[in-house]
Amino acid sequence: MAGAGGGGCPAGANDLQWCFSQVKGAIDEDVAEADIISTVEFNYSGDLLATGDKGGRVVIFQREQENKSRPHSRGEYNVYSTFQSHEPEFDYLKSLEIEEKINKIRWLPQQNAAQFLLSTNDKTIKLWKISERDKRAEGYNLKDEDGRLRDPFRITALRVPILKPMDLMVEASPRRIFANAHTYHINSISVNSDHETYLSADDLRINLWHLEITDRSFNIVDMKPANMEELTEVITAAEFHPHQCNVFVHSSSKGTTRLCDMRSSALCDTHSKFFEEPEDPSSRSFFSEIISSISDVKFSHSGRYMMTRDYLSVKVWDLNMESRPVETHQVHEYLRSKLCSLYENDCIFDKFECCWSGSDSAIMTGSYNNFFRMFDRNTRRDVTLEASRENSKPRASLKPRKVCTGAKRKRDEISVDSLDFSKKILHTAWHPAGNVIAVAATNNLYIFQDKVN
Amino acid sequence: MEVQKEAQRIMTLSVWKMYHSRMQRGGLRLHRSLQLSLVMRSARELYLSAKVEAHEQTEVPSLPARSPDPRLHPLREAQAAAEAASPDGEQPCSEPMDTQEAPRAEETPARCTPHPAKVSRKRRSSSLSDGGDAGLVPSKKARLEEEAEEGASSEVPDRLQPPPAQAEGAFPNLARVLQRRFSGLLNCSPAASPTVSPPACEGKPACRPADNMLNVLVRAVVAF
Repeated sequence: MAGAGGGGCPAGANDLQWCFSQVKGAIDEDVAEADIISTVEFNYSGDLLATGDKGGRVVIFQREQENKSRPHSRGEYNVYSTFQSHEPEFDYLKSLEIEEKINKIRWLPQQNAAQFLLSTNDKTIKLWKISERDKRAEGYNLKDEDGRLRDPFRITALRVPILKPMDLMVEASPRRIFANAHTYHINSISVNSDHETYLSADDLRINLWHLEITDRSFNIVDMKPANMEELTEVITAAEFHPHQCNVFVHSSSKGTTRLCDMRSSALCDTHSKFFEEPEDPSSRSFFSEIISSISDVKFSHSGRYMMTRDYLSVKVWDLNMESRPVETHQVHEYLRSKLCSLYENDCIFDKFECCWSGSDSAIMTGSYNNFFRMFDRNTRRDVTLEASRENSKPRASLKPRKVCTGAKRKRDEISVDSLDFSKKILHTAWHPAGNVIAVAATNNLYIFQDKVN
Repeated sequence: MEVQKEAQRIMTLSVWKMYHSRMQRGGLRLHRSLQLSLVMRSARELYLSAKVEAHEQTEVPSLPARSPDPRLHPLREAQAAAEAASPDGEQPCSEPMDTQEAPRAEETPARCTPHPAKVSRKRRSSSLSDGGDAGLVPSKKARLEEEAEEGASSEVPDRLQPPPAQAEGAFPNLARVLQRRFSGLLNCSPAASPTVSPPACEGKPACRPADNMLNVLVRAVVAF
């Protein structure tokens, strides 16, 4: 019954129960590829939750204000805005289609009434402004109430238009388009703590942008070898430090992570710190190289730690120690003997993400069979939970799941061979301040909250 | 033998995946191609070392010859355990991949180290970094075709045949070359083996055919 402690929980209460709150998305067995969620991200306050899908759409949910008449029900997330962020494009030079799938969404900190977010596909990053309109001007001089232009000769008197309330309308408009800067496929974007710049990373290069300038970017990391035949590693993820605007990390397909300081040189090909855990020779196997590839890297909110996710484990690193991680958590070690089959069905290439809780006391990542795992760093306990329609009664507690590896299967356990590898949870997000989590299971978005005792 | 077959299977599968990934929307993905080529290389090394072993075992049935290379010393214990385990027929076909090939894979470089740098020097004139037409230059293509014909290509599995018919886009030649290379590999006749397995002591020249394959596959990566 181990839950995960986190920010916002009452002092002394470390027994959290995760409960189902909501699920968004169609129930159909036949899932359209375009509806598959490809990224999930809370904004800085946690009031907004954005999802991107393979069809290039962005859906933003907003948390309702807590209802005083029902104090025990937390605010629900309802659709706030939906828009088409990216469309499929065609690169004529290479005869390639550019997918509209949204790879990442990152919110900007709120500075005025409007909200801003960056969304990216494989090649182009866009800055979207999401603004509310709840007033409308009425009483124009030159046009009628229904918009038709009035004949100027008929206007005999002038009046000042008056603002009248209207139904809330949320508009999304693209304010900047950052294009043509990446030869390879963009895998990460990260907003800097200076709130003016951001980075975008593809397989071999990382570029630094200014949010106001779209026709120029600075290349800060270039891993392309002079001779592509000597290519041995690619960049898999990158992120800015949450507080130090000159520091960022990038992870590689070889299982290494480099921390770079932009003050040291303009081109950060040489790292300031190099995080690598020496490989355990006893666990070396045929697929060792590809399962050591890091699929996600995230700084803790404190900025003191970072977390890397490879295929079978998630590791927490102290930024002051490069030689080995301070914590290693096995996500689904029972898959280690199944790597060959996972290679055959392409699951071994799945890129799982990971996230920190608001207080950094817990971490979460996804697995197969719609399972996701949470690790409490203080109590050292971990739990496996499932996102499924069966457990979707309002405020129903989630029961911990267990995968059995041996021959003897207990009643509630599921055997490794029964796992559904088509149901994978790659994207999860944790509310920055409270115990609310969003879990993307194919085309459905599950929202879980802790039970108020 | 099981190990060899498994290695072949993985190699074929990897090539198929590599080819298939070109057909995906969004084109060839660099990271995926790199991972596939890593697996292919490991499978190739395993296959070659298994083949060498098979040779040795037929020649010297009493003791498998292993040169005590000091570099491989840490692996010898694991290797001895693996060798002791290999006659054990209980292990399923797929499991050896995960546990036994590591020592062998490590050992193969000692015998015939592929020298990508050396090979690439010769191929620099056919650099594909401009990313445009990624067809092979005539001289290299001629050599590859010649080598492919050394191996009889009588038994081409059905699943490799459709791809050349669909070959299009940037690599019209790649698919044909891949098909020919693999028809040679998959053919179990001894005529095919000289093109693939190097005799133990003739390091580089005999390795080159397999190297070409890997280079050709890497070129799929290069074009992007």
